[in-house]
Amino acid sequence: MSDYILETENLGLRYGAFAALGSVDLKIRRGSIHTVIGPNGAGKTTLFHCLTGERRPSSGRIRFAGRDLTRQPPHKRVASGMSRSFQITSLFQNLSVRENLRLAAQGRDGLGALAFWYSDTHRQEHVRKADEVLERIKLTAQANTSAGDLSHGQQRVLEVGMALCSDPEMLLLDEPTSGMGVDDIPVMTRLISELGKDLTVMLIEHNMRLVMSISDRITVMHQGNILIEGDPDQVRGDERVKKAYLGESGS
Amino acid sequence: MTKPNAQTSIFSGVTLAALAAVILMPLVLPSATLATEILIFAMAALGCNLLLGYTGLLSFGQGIFFGGGAYIASLSMIHLDFGLFGALVAAMIAGSLLATLVGALAIRRTGIYFVMLTLAFSQMAYFLAYTLSDWTGGDNGLLDVPRPALSLFGFELADLTSSYAFYAFVGVLFLAIFVFARRVIHSPFGTTLVAIRENEGRASAVGFSTNHFKLLAFVISGGITGIAGALYAMLLNFAPLSNIELLMSENILIMTIIGGTGSLLGSLLGAGTIVLLGDLLSSIWPRWMIILGVALIAVVLFMPSGLWGGVESQCKRWKERRCTAGKTSGKAQEAK
Repeated sequence: MSDYILETENLGLRYGAFAALGSVDLKIRRGSIHTVIGPNGAGKTTLFHCLTGERRPSSGRIRFAGRDLTRQPPHKRVASGMSRSFQITSLFQNLSVRENLRLAAQGRDGLGALAFWYSDTHRQEHVRKADEVLERIKLTAQANTSAGDLSHGQQRVLEVGMALCSDPEMLLLDEPTSGMGVDDIPVMTRLISELGKDLTVMLIEHNMRLVMSISDRITVMHQGNILIEGDPDQVRGDERVKKAYLGESGS
Repeated sequence: MTKPNAQTSIFSGVTLAALAAVILMPLVLPSATLATEILIFAMAALGCNLLLGYTGLLSFGQGIFFGGGAYIASLSMIHLDFGLFGALVAAMIAGSLLATLVGALAIRRTGIYFVMLTLAFSQMAYFLAYTLSDWTGGDNGLLDVPRPALSLFGFELADLTSSYAFYAFVGVLFLAIFVFARRVIHSPFGTTLVAIRENEGRASAVGFSTNHFKLLAFVISGGITGIAGALYAMLLNFAPLSNIELLMSENILIMTIIGGTGSLLGSLLGAGTIVLLGDLLSSIWPRWMIILGVALIAVVLFMPSGLWGGVESQCKRWKERRCTAGKTSGKAQEAK
């Protein structure tokens, strides 16, 4: 088994003459927390969308757990062991927190969930999975609350919990702390570093304190390409990174 | 949404309410024929509700399945000598196949474009039925549709020519479909449909291939609606062209919306309201559809969850009031 769970090779996405993603060779080590940072427009989200299957890259390949899934649609990547969260909270707002998680667990059945002839509670493993994740994300007390009635911070945590329900090998988190208040961020930081013990986590994030404290590896993107990659200390001290963030004229 | 087991058991709760309605309707209403019509349209509304209320798909194709079921059942009885069950099964299959066709193409688009596609199919089906007048009778409708006796393996069990006998048969069928619809809704499939309605992007992200689910919802909806169409032809002894008109799709949609989307009893209530209103008002005032329009506007504006939703929240308010009344009287006694 390769050391790397996810490898991209020459991954690019062009919109006409504009290259949103130039040519990205990204390798993510199994069991690590790998963060992608970069100024706005650096191509982080485009990269993310290519990895989750929302955008089809115009060049290059994506290998995940030894398989090529460059052209696989998003829903099939779940069965391969890849799971994602959204930058803009995307929940089943009117359903209870437990039902949100149960449905997310049911998602791994794929077409098996087309069964319309037996009760949903028949599949106890999904209910159990939901309860297990509830405990992990510490929302057990809110299990019967509608997802839409949770506080913003709790919704962000549930957002990550949904991605956990499919028992993924790798989690892709799109700005997990987006819009979170200062008080809630430590909760998310703790959750992600906990998850990093069992899973591979790749995230896009703007909150530098969180990034520096939990990442094993950081990739800095700039203008559609990888600028540098290294551990937090290397990235913190790098002149090119400062330049990229401050802009060319800022130096 | 997670309810205790006693309520999700498909034979208790609202199923008992549906059973009560089926028993009471012929006793209260002026004729069994009227009651039969209500149940038939309630079936069609149930089928529509599965798409609109549970999957979030506004389909103008319901008339195609209804009319298609009516034609296929009638033709199979007239030309192929099909019996009662044979004709109903044929209608169900026809409804499902038509729904597969319409669904498979329409779900390739979402939102308003999806609606427009079902609308286009509806118009096409109408003109097709109009053109194929050798088969469908065109504008005159298909005449002399029989109402076969209820028989099993060649043994005649009951003659359905009396309106009460036919009502009883339709009633049993309605309850069977009602129970089936509840089973569907509380299955992995049904809960996934709700997930798609709530947030299709997320449903896809957690692993559901949403188009397969929408298509199966169409197939089931089409089958149920096809059966309703067949029963309607048997009730009237006639399959009019209006069965497959756009107006039929609209009527079924209006019943579903007025009754309340997302609740099965709502469909029965909606069908009952519209059929009864039509029956009462059309004899008094030929422009009664204006009142229907006003009623639809009122429901959409003031009761977004339909008549059934209104009934439910009224019951809740009434219960709460009783609770608080009990408490305050208790306090008053304590004060004494």
